[in-house]
Order: sequence, then structure tokens, then C-alpha cells
Amino acid sequence: MNKALMKAVKEYLVLLLVLGLVLITAVIEPKFITSGNMTNIMRQFGPLIMVAMGMTFVIIGGYIDLSVAGIMSLVAVVTLSLIDPIGQVGAIFVGLLIGAAAGFLNSLVITRSGAMTQAEGLFISYGMSVLYGGTALLYTGGVTNHLSYIESNYSLFTLIGSGTVGIFSVSFIIFLFLLLILYIFQNFTYTGRAICLTGGNKTAANLTGINVNRTIIIIWTISGFMAGVSSIVLFSRVTTASPVLGKGFELNAILAVVVGGTSLKGGKGSVARTVLGAMLVILLSNSMNLLGVTVYMQNVMKGLLLILAIWLDNLKGRR
Amino acid sequence: MANKENDIILTMTGVVKTFPGVKALDDVSIQVRRGSVHGIVGENGAGKSTLMKILSGVYTKDKGTIIFDGETIETTTPHQAMQRGLSIIYQELNLVNTMTAGENIYLGRFSEVNGMKGTHQKAREALDRIGSDIDTWTLVQDLSVSRKQMVEIAKALSFDSKLIIMDEPSSSLTQDEMKALAKIINQLRSEGISVIYISHKLDEIFDFCDTVTVMRDGKVIDTRPVEEFTRMDMISMMVGRSIEKEFPERPRKVSTPLMEVEGIKTKKLHDISFTLNKGEILGLVGLVGAGRTEIVRALFGADKIKAGTIKLDGEVVAIRNPRDAMKRGISFVPEDRKQQGLILPFSVENNISIATLKNLYKFGILDKNKERQIAEKHIKTLKIKTPTARTAVESLSGGNQQKCIIGRWMEIQPRILIMDEPTRGIDVGAKYEIYLLMKDIVENGGSVILISSELPEVLNMSNRVLTVCDGRINGEFDPEKASVDEIMAKALGVSVEGAMA
Amino acid sequence: MKNKGLGKTITTSIVKYKAFFAVLVMLLFMLFPRTNFYSVFNILDMLNSASILMVVSFGLTLVILAGGIDLSVGGSLVMGGILTILSMNVMPMWLAILIGTLSGAVIGTINGYIIVYHKTEPMIVTLGMSIILTGIAQELTDAHPISAEGLSFMMIGNGRIFGTIPNLVVIMLVVFAVFYVILRYTQFGRNLYAIGGDYEVAKYSGINVRREKAATYVLAGMAASFAGVLLSSKLNSASSIYGDQTALTVISGIVVGGTSLAGGVGGVGRSLVGLLVFAIMENALNMLHVDAYIQQVIRGIVIVAILALDSYDRKRRREDV
Repeated sequence: MNKALMKAVKEYLVLLLVLGLVLITAVIEPKFITSGNMTNIMRQFGPLIMVAMGMTFVIIGGYIDLSVAGIMSLVAVVTLSLIDPIGQVGAIFVGLLIGAAAGFLNSLVITRSGAMTQAEGLFISYGMSVLYGGTALLYTGGVTNHLSYIESNYSLFTLIGSGTVGIFSVSFIIFLFLLLILYIFQNFTYTGRAICLTGGNKTAANLTGINVNRTIIIIWTISGFMAGVSSIVLFSRVTTASPVLGKGFELNAILAVVVGGTSLKGGKGSVARTVLGAMLVILLSNSMNLLGVTVYMQNVMKGLLLILAIWLDNLKGRR
Repeated sequence: MANKENDIILTMTGVVKTFPGVKALDDVSIQVRRGSVHGIVGENGAGKSTLMKILSGVYTKDKGTIIFDGETIETTTPHQAMQRGLSIIYQELNLVNTMTAGENIYLGRFSEVNGMKGTHQKAREALDRIGSDIDTWTLVQDLSVSRKQMVEIAKALSFDSKLIIMDEPSSSLTQDEMKALAKIINQLRSEGISVIYISHKLDEIFDFCDTVTVMRDGKVIDTRPVEEFTRMDMISMMVGRSIEKEFPERPRKVSTPLMEVEGIKTKKLHDISFTLNKGEILGLVGLVGAGRTEIVRALFGADKIKAGTIKLDGEVVAIRNPRDAMKRGISFVPEDRKQQGLILPFSVENNISIATLKNLYKFGILDKNKERQIAEKHIKTLKIKTPTARTAVESLSGGNQQKCIIGRWMEIQPRILIMDEPTRGIDVGAKYEIYLLMKDIVENGGSVILISSELPEVLNMSNRVLTVCDGRINGEFDPEKASVDEIMAKALGVSVEGAMA
Repeated sequence: MKNKGLGKTITTSIVKYKAFFAVLVMLLFMLFPRTNFYSVFNILDMLNSASILMVVSFGLTLVILAGGIDLSVGGSLVMGGILTILSMNVMPMWLAILIGTLSGAVIGTINGYIIVYHKTEPMIVTLGMSIILTGIAQELTDAHPISAEGLSFMMIGNGRIFGTIPNLVVIMLVVFAVFYVILRYTQFGRNLYAIGGDYEVAKYSGINVRREKAATYVLAGMAASFAGVLLSSKLNSASSIYGDQTALTVISGIVVGGTSLAGGVGGVGRSLVGLLVFAIMENALNMLHVDAYIQQVIRGIVIVAILALDSYDRKRRREDV
């Protein structure tokens, strides 16, 4: 009985900790539960959860994707620049394509070079992030463009950024739609299972007929695509496309996945849990903001959470 | 010599060691005299290696006492054991591949021997003492296995050892190297150093040893001076039970060729050609690293084939990856269950369904009931002992884990089942069940390729045995006619007369 | 077996000494365009700038040799600079520098303790640590660059011995010598090769594997924060953004130099040459007036290429053995 309790605590400690912090805030800071603050939270939630859902697949597959920050920046600046020449729909389409293509390129470098370990994948994607970020800077000459400077109609972006359907924001509906698809993909399809098995043991998966390279390509491409979606949602809301737009998102996304309870060892996890994790990461930021904790100290908290999570993850592995 | 107590270097009394599910050592008592060569013989799994690992501090004993050089030893680490004067030369070598031979000999003692210069000077002396010309500046990874063994011996000597344990030292030595080893052992004996010599090759035991202990199933069967043993005694003590009980009757339904392999080449294999017949169990025998595993990996599409063809039913087939092989009905039970066979944190049912997973999807959605049914079916027929189908496979015993892998392949109804060391680390009862399974497959028209380091297993189960040496197939034997010595000699790559001498 | 053919021997040696050849090729290339690349002033300046990352690399080489990795060196670098400049307001300069340098030792101790004694994945722990350090650095400086008062601190990083050789180059060479001696001539240094080469064998040989592996993180943290002190002195400022790409650049330099990420093979000499590759590249690109953003793209490509080739090399060997 005691053992089961210990196990549950280990399993959910990070989650409980974050939840506790949020509850404390709610008690001592009444502003927390105002509708204005809730809207604020929902807005921040959209972009993060998109990247984090994509990141979940990469982490289940046994890797970590640090390139999402660079991809987000690149997608934002290119999409914005294309609104005038090819129209809104075309621009969004190309933007998403660039996201997916960047993820695909990551996976090609990884499968071609035979980078089978998490560390190798992490380094390569880190380098790719420098490359994508550099390309974004190069593309704009380092200038941040504002959506309203664009001559043509940008109603679609206004809709994504601040539109509502009933009580839900449009970005939230996009999120629900993507969650549904990814949830089904992960839990019911062959490829979804193949990703878990690959993350569990690449050698064994290969020797039982799983196409490991194909699986690796799929997870990185999903992650790139989702970074693209996130980028468009984000810059629609802030109405600017900075060439460093995505900075910091990779770490928040990893944190959301880990806080949700997906193991960094690969093989196990779920997008549904990541939704919870992302929500808590946002609530954490929000409550710390309300309590007057600086953004900088919030980073410190996040780093601590990450280390705590990996430490607990490791305890779980030992019997 | 007058003092009888002082004459004994090592006394073990009532040593017990239990692993989950297996009693590896059961009340073992052995005494080793100073300056003697003490042989320990027994089949694989008899407990020899476990005993040595307890002596050297890799494992800790559950019960019993060990007195070494007049001192009672409770717990120890490998390093402490060495400093006490007890060195062990393992089967799996214990050297850092990326460092030089000299540094390996004095590993962790750099300052004791005054730096790099001293290290190589002293290492040279140690190697000279055993008459080895290995350059101390060579990286260990560039040495052959036998030369690595020489480095290990030099390392053991460098500690002023009073007792050196050699665990199957001859398994990878050529004939000349064996002669050198014999000389070294005699020299050690004359210097008053004791040697425990572990082997299952009786020739060496009779050549080298003064006293011999026979072990079986974790127990000491008998200890006597070597003169009081005959080869036949020793064998019957080692095997204990009669062969008929240990293995089912050999299947005899071999018919026409099923697979013809012609001139396969990979990075490690040269010109591999052989035929596998329907209803046949084909044994592959060879040393670890000789190319046994590489042959079956190539057939299964796990390693890249550079040249040659594989024919199934007379038709050339292209096997580029495991998926191609599986489509042709080839399945593979790999040597390393945990690393290559199972996805450990996943459930029994997930691990069983994996090979046929693709067929379980209807309109892209997994039929979980069907997955469960398949798992339950194999749990029942293979008698897999697991609480539920949803239990994580990592919590099962070795034998049951192996059965999960076999169940997985049964589901694709394999025409060819490749088994690489299928009974390693599995208890006797489960072994027998696996033999019955193999028999079942071939009697239903399938074929089995069996790789095993346990010769009795290969010889009793196979219809034909191929020997593999240096990446080539160099011999074919009928296991009912050929002698063990003949087959071993071929697998070692030495002439028959040499091995018999 | 030894007569592999000249072609193969040449290929193997190019792969083995790739950093050396890269340096050579770039030096040759720079003979052609009309630049000041080959002026004594420029070469000294280049070494001067490279010195700081080289100091970081010497410490990190020890960690990688012993089979670990440290992504928090950027954070340690930043902390070293900031703590030194902040401390200088209230205490003598030498003490401030000591505090700055020791901050890395504290960080390394924490890293080493969590990673080695709790058997956690070094990559993620040090990634978390780098986030923490950046956050603390931002908090301490309010995310603005800070600078020291007075000129004496600046003189360390900008002074020249005999009016020609930059102090930083000399300091770098001294640190290099220290680490070289540690790796080459001490029991601890040799043990690191054993620990990275085969952890279990090292353990069975009586090496205190945990303590010595943890010590590498301490040394790496200290080297990085000392480099941070030097950087702040050179620029007369400290900022939380100075460490952004430190870890990635230094690791790439170490890898191209020939120290294996798998551990057990390499040395600080190789890292020095490896970091030189990046220094020459950057300097040459500046000399050729290449746009800063194009430079970042090129750096990204080079880093990815180096890391991917390293993985590929390992894959080839994995299949060979």
C-alpha cells in the first residue's frame, strides 16, 4: 500500500508541485481567477501547446527537438512576407510547408548520419536551429515586420489571432481539432504504435519489422509542422513576425511534455498528458507573473523543474 | 610444507548464491593448494563462472565462508581482490579497448609506477616474464583476442598474484598460443603461484591440472587428483543425467531444399554458401565472433549483403531489411533478448503482437481485442508464466521472456525460424520446452537454424551441423556420426590431428 | 593487413586529422583574396578572440573524455563574468576574480553530484542547469549588460605583453599547459581515459570512478567561468546573452578536433586545433566582409555537418566491429 503511494507520488510529483503552486496563487491573488486573466492564459496556451504536441512525438520516439525555435522564427518571417505576393491562404500554406520541410530535413540528417542516440539528435537539432534562425535573420535583414504594414487584407490572421467562436477563441478550436487528430493518430494507428516501439528500443523494433527510419522521419516532420502551426498562431496574435520569434519555445515545450509525465527515456507518453503539462506550464508562468516573480526567476524555476523531472524519471526506472 | 594449514591458499565452504528463479551455487566447497593447478570442469550453466565472480568480488555470496591466504573474506571488490593477490582472467576480457596495452596492465596505478615511462617499463617486464613480444604502446583494440588474453595474464602477474583464475582461456587461442599458455602455467606453478583453470575441454584439463573439481547445476560433484579420473568418469559426472532426458528425440522429416544461400558476402563474411532443407534443424557451430550471428543477421536482412544470392523454393529473393525477410516467412530470435528482442517497458501482449501488428488494423484503427486474443493464445500454448497479458515484459523471468519472443514469431507462421542462443540463461525445464517447440516447427514443414555455444544442444537437436570460422563455413558434419572433438577442432580452425594430440 | 593502399591511408589520416586539414585548407584559401588576414596584427587578434572559447573547451574536453557532456558551460561563463564585475564594487579585484572563477566550481559540483551520484542523463541535467544559470544571470543584471568601473580590470583582457602578444593568448596557453599536464602526467588524467573508455573496467580496476567523473564537471565549470572573467575583462562588460551559443560551438570544436563524444579518446591539444577551425572561419568571413546573418547560416551548416559526420563515423564503425 505504502509502495503504491510512493509510486504514485513519484509518477505525479512534478504535476502536483505545479498544481500546488497554482492553487496557492489562486488563494493569495484574487486577480488570478478574473475572466481577463483567463483569456490571457488561453492566448498563451495556443502557441505553446502546438509545439509541445509535436515535441511529444519526438520525445516518445527517443529524441529531443531543439530546432523548433528556429523553425518558428523562419516560418513567421516567410509567411508574413508572402501575404502580399500570394495572398493569405497561400502564405499560410507555404508557411506550414516550410515547417514540415524543416522537420523533414532534420530527420534526413539524423537518419542519413545514423544518429541513433538522444544526445546525437539533440546536438544536430540544436545546430539546425542555429541554421534556421540564421536563415530567418538573413531573410529579413534582422528587421521585425508588423502585420499591419502589409498592404493586403489580413483578416484571416486577425481571425486566428483574436477571433472567437462562442466562448472559445479560434486558436483554441484549432488546438482541439489538432489534438483530436493527433490523439487518434497516436493511440489507434499503426504508426502511432510504431513510434512508441521505436522509442522503447530501436534495435529490437528494427528486428521485428518496424521501419525505424520511416518512423524517425515521421516524428521530426510532425514536430516541424506543429512548430509551423504554432508560429502562425503566435504571430497572428502578436501581429509581428520577429526573426527571433521562437526563442525559448523549445524549452517550454520540453517542459510541458515532461511535466505532463511523458518520459524523456522514450517509448511512453501521450499528447493528452502534454495538454495538461502545457496548461500547467502556462498557469505557472501566469501565477508567478501575478505574484511579481520576474521572468528571469521564472526561467530558474523552469530549469529546476526540468532537473527534478529527469531525476524522478530516473527513480521510476530503478526498481 | 610441514604446516598443513599453510599449504592451502584458498578454502571455500558452503558457498550459496541465488539469482531470481535460479540457484546458481548450492553449498559449494573447494580447497586449492599453493602452487597447484586446480581444474574446474562443468557444462555451461554449471556455476563455474558464478563461483569465480564471487571470488573476485563482482557478485556477493548469499552464504558460506571464503578464506584466502589465511584471511576470511566477507565482501570484496575486484580491485581489492587483486591487491590481496587474487586475479582473474575473464572470458569477456576486462580491458579498456581505447588505451594502450601497457596502460591497461597498470590501469589505475599510474602514479604507483611513476608515470607513463614507468608504466611501459614495468608492463614490458610483465610481458617479458610470459615471453610475449606485444608492444606496450599498441592500442588494445588493435590486438587479436589471444593477444588481449596475454595482456590480461601479464596484468594478473603484475599484481604479485598468489592465485590466478583463468576462465576458459583457451576458447580463442591457436595451437601455438596454447603451447605458450602451457609454458606460462608451468612457470607459475614452479614459482608457487596457484592457478584455477576453468574449462570444459577435457584435453587441457588432463594436460595442465593437478586436481580437478567437477561441477553440475551449481553443485560440486567431486574433487580428486587428476590421476584418479578417467575421461569417462568426468564426462558422466559433468552431464549427470542421460542425454535422452535432456533433449527430445531428434526430428526426422528432412525433405527437399527450402533455402539455398550462394556466395553471400558482407563486411564480416566471405563467400557463405549452404542449403537449408524443409523439416530440418541446421546447427551453426563456431566461436563467438567467428561469424555465426553475422550469417543469420544477413539472412534476416539486418546486415547489408554485398554479394551473393538467397533462393527460396528455387527462386531468387531480395532481402534488404528485416521486413523483406518477414514477408518471406523468415523469423529471428536474437542472441541478446533484452537489447535486440524485447521492448522491455512494454506489455507482454504488445511484445507478442509486434511482428503481426500491421494486420491488426482495420481501416487504420487497431483492433485491441484481436491483439489480446493473439497474446492470450500464445500465453496458453507456450505456457508463458505471466500475471496478465498486460504485465510489462521486463518483469518476467528469462525463460518466459524468450517464450514471448517465440510466440511473436509463431504468429507469422514462420517457414524458417532462426534461433541465436535460444536457451542462454534459461533454466532446464524451460529449455526442454523450447526444444519441443523447435521440433514442433520442423515437424509441421518449417525449418530451424540453431546457433548455440552449448555443443550438446546443437549436437542433439540438429540434423546437420555447419562449422563457422573466420567468417567462412569450413565444415559440414552429421552430428550422429561426427565426434565432438572433430567438430570443435574444425570450428577452432585447427587440423584434427593437432586438436587430438 | 597493413598494406591498405596509399589512397586509403590518406583518407584515414585526413579523417583522423580533419581539424588540422581544415585549418590548412582555410589558411591556403586566405592566400588568394586581398585581405589583411595575414597581418601579424590580425592573426594575434584572431587568437586573442579564440582564447576565451579555447579555455572553455579545455575543461569541457575532460568531461567528454570521461564519457559525459556539459551544456551548461555557457551559463558558467556568463556567471563568471557577472559575479566578478558585481563583486568588484565591494571588494578587491583579485578576490572578485577568484569568486567569479569559483562560481563555476560550485555549478560543476552541483552538476557532477546530480549526474554522477544520481545516475541521471547529463545532457538534460546540464540543459536544465543552463536555463537556471541564464535566469539567475538575467535577474542579477536585469538582462542588461553591466560593466566595471576603472580601467584596471579591462587591462587583463586587453593588455599585451611586450606590447605585442595579447595577455589572453598567454593566459590561454597557461591554462592549456595545466590541463595538458593533468591529462598526460597525472593518475587522475589517465584514469579519465579509462573511465570514458570502459566505465565498468575502470571501476573494477579500483578507480574511484564516481568521484573522478564528478570532478571533471567541477573543472569544466571552473574553466568556463574563468573564461567568462576573461571575456568580461576583454569587453569590459558582462551580459546574460554572452553564453548563448558557447556550448554548441565549443562542443563542435572539440568534436572536429577529434575528441570522441563516446568518450575515452582525445585530448586538449586536439580541442585547441578544433577551436582554431572556428576561429579562422569566423575571422576569414569577417575579413571577406560576409554579412553577419550569412555567417550565422554558415556556422549552422558547419556545426550540423561536423556533428552529422561524427555520428556517421560512429555508425560506420558500429557496423564494422
